[in-house]
Amino acid sequence: MKGAEVISKLSTILNGEELIVSSNGNVSRQVYHLLQGDHIYLRGSMGLPVPIGLGLALAQPNRTVLVITGDGNFLMGLSAMTTVAHVQPENLKIIVLDNEIYATTGGQNTVSSTIDYITMIQGMGINNSRSFDMSDSDHLISEILKDTTREQGLNVLHLKVEEDTIILDNIPHHPIDIKENFVNRLL
Amino acid sequence: MIESADFLSYLTDNGYTFSTGVPCSYFRDLLIDLEKDDRFTYLPATREDEAMGIATGYFLGAGKTFLIMQNSGLANIGDALTSLTQLYKIPLLMFVSYRGLEPDRDFPEHIIMGDVTKSVLDAYQIPYWVIEEHNWKNVLDNALEIMEELSKPVCILVKKGVLSD
Repeated sequence: MKGAEVISKLSTILNGEELIVSSNGNVSRQVYHLLQGDHIYLRGSMGLPVPIGLGLALAQPNRTVLVITGDGNFLMGLSAMTTVAHVQPENLKIIVLDNEIYATTGGQNTVSSTIDYITMIQGMGINNSRSFDMSDSDHLISEILKDTTREQGLNVLHLKVEEDTIILDNIPHHPIDIKENFVNRLL
Repeated sequence: MIESADFLSYLTDNGYTFSTGVPCSYFRDLLIDLEKDDRFTYLPATREDEAMGIATGYFLGAGKTFLIMQNSGLANIGDALTSLTQLYKIPLLMFVSYRGLEPDRDFPEHIIMGDVTKSVLDAYQIPYWVIEEHNWKNVLDNALEIMEELSKPVCILVKKGVLSD
């Protein structure tokens, strides 16, 4: 299963109230094109979707905040996960789509293939985390995504996914409009 | 020295109850009072760019944040200033210690950043002011006005002895 297929599947799981922060590059394009609603589609600031999600979760404690990030981006901002673990925001969910490459820049390797994500995340103090290899068809993506997005409490979902073969169009909105649309949504 | 109580009251009067950042000894006394003040939540970040990310998320969720960091942190927030907060027009109040001046002559690790601090802020197109005990309220009033008008981060440089002994 590819990252875009996971994001596409989310459209059948989400209730429309969730606030999404998506990482720059392909992931933001996929979230923009494949999911409904106005979300925070990052264009730059590699490594910062997790802290942005944390700040949003603290400011909006009654809304579910979902961070969707690739592995390269997640690893660049890894220390922010220790802050997340320290705060334990009940309404924050983090999905790492791990294709083991920097796909947006041409498929260069990340160091993700040698990481034990669950051990690492648990060691930071986040008890509720799951990891699945989505090349194994036994795993039911709908159930996994339902558990992650609907369950109470902070949790992290790490999914090994295949490289996307289709690159979607750029997001047609300037970041100022992305911000305005999101802020207006919360009014 | 500015009294922490006056300084923190000014911030609550202006709608600030949330703060994040990375400490500097120039803010030691302020941080002691900030962390025990029930009106505020101060979240220690692991890096200055992470703090800026948290502040951005908090703003997008309809909150206001002030940031605290050492000027060494200006070297860690370049991308956050250019491809996040200025790109998305996020207003943020940053308190940045001005290390590397005369009182830091025995701390060579701060000297180069001290020399280039204003040039770095100019290069990043971030408005900045230096506050002193006698003018801080007027400077902050002006800085907040410009922050709202431009909807971008503004930087308050804090020298030794201004917010901590």
